[in-house]
Amino acid sequence: MRQIHVGALALILSFTPLAFAQTKSAATPRGGVDWKELDHKWLDSERTGDLDYLEKFFADSYVLVLANGQTYTKKEWLGILRGPDRPTLLTLDPENIQVHVFGNVAILTDHTTIKGHDSKGNSLDGEFNVFRVVIKQDGEWRATGVVMNPDLSKK
Amino acid sequence: MKRAYGLATTIVFLIASGAVALGQAPKKPAASGEDVAGTVAILDHVWLDAAHNHDGETAAWLFADNFVEIHPGGILVSKEQQVEMIKNTQLGDIAIQSSDIQVRYASPDVAVLTDTTTIRGTQGETNYGGQYRVMRVFVKQQGRWRAAGAGIARITSQ
Repeated sequence: MRQIHVGALALILSFTPLAFAQTKSAATPRGGVDWKELDHKWLDSERTGDLDYLEKFFADSYVLVLANGQTYTKKEWLGILRGPDRPTLLTLDPENIQVHVFGNVAILTDHTTIKGHDSKGNSLDGEFNVFRVVIKQDGEWRATGVVMNPDLSKK
Repeated sequence: MKRAYGLATTIVFLIASGAVALGQAPKKPAASGEDVAGTVAILDHVWLDAAHNHDGETAAWLFADNFVEIHPGGILVSKEQQVEMIKNTQLGDIAIQSSDIQVRYASPDVAVLTDTTTIRGTQGETNYGGQYRVMRVFVKQQGRWRAAGAGIARITSQ
């Protein structure tokens, strides 16, 4: 049974990837891509609920792996985002962003601090290290995968 | 025995790199006609075999130079760090097996898959025993498939 508060956690992480880039690799465009701008848009879309943008930004192959191993496809995840139990995100603070570009795919890693709560008021606060995969399709960069990990060094 | 096993692994790896994989994953032919899904599905096993056998040489060959992996617990490691960990026999042996390999994306030069990796054993003071959901990324460089990175999450919910 998938619990929505866990999904909310993932939501935060999956949509807050590269905003506020704090590393040189993320702040400096590579391959003509301004990763910081891309991720700001990603994050902003999450905050404002711009699901039309997310529908386009997520590749059909998109898959989200939560910190507990639960997996969501694009359809499943967007379904949660469109549902009534959408979480409230108060703080999304990704740091130590690193970008590894391999031609038509880029792997992004970051450390994200989350403060917020789910629709029932349960805290979503935590710190995570996140693995993100973005692919280039038809000239556009799209998210295809996210894996979340709790940062145990912070506990 | 161990050497023979490592050799066998290498052979499998070479076959896989030649893109004549046996197709253990859902077929998603790339535009080039290459069975990318089959190839990376085999590379998934090669990867884990290298880790199990402390075969740093194969791991170094498999990993792209800019390789990155996030371990359970959020530890970020580079290619060099990951290879050193694999080579380190003093850390102890762990049994590793992958299943439920799903190729999520395949193109002529990029593939992304997920699998369920089961680990039994302890390395150093860390007990890695358990099941993990893993996302692995492969890229084709100079005509050869390499591992670009992996993200790993321990499965704690069913």
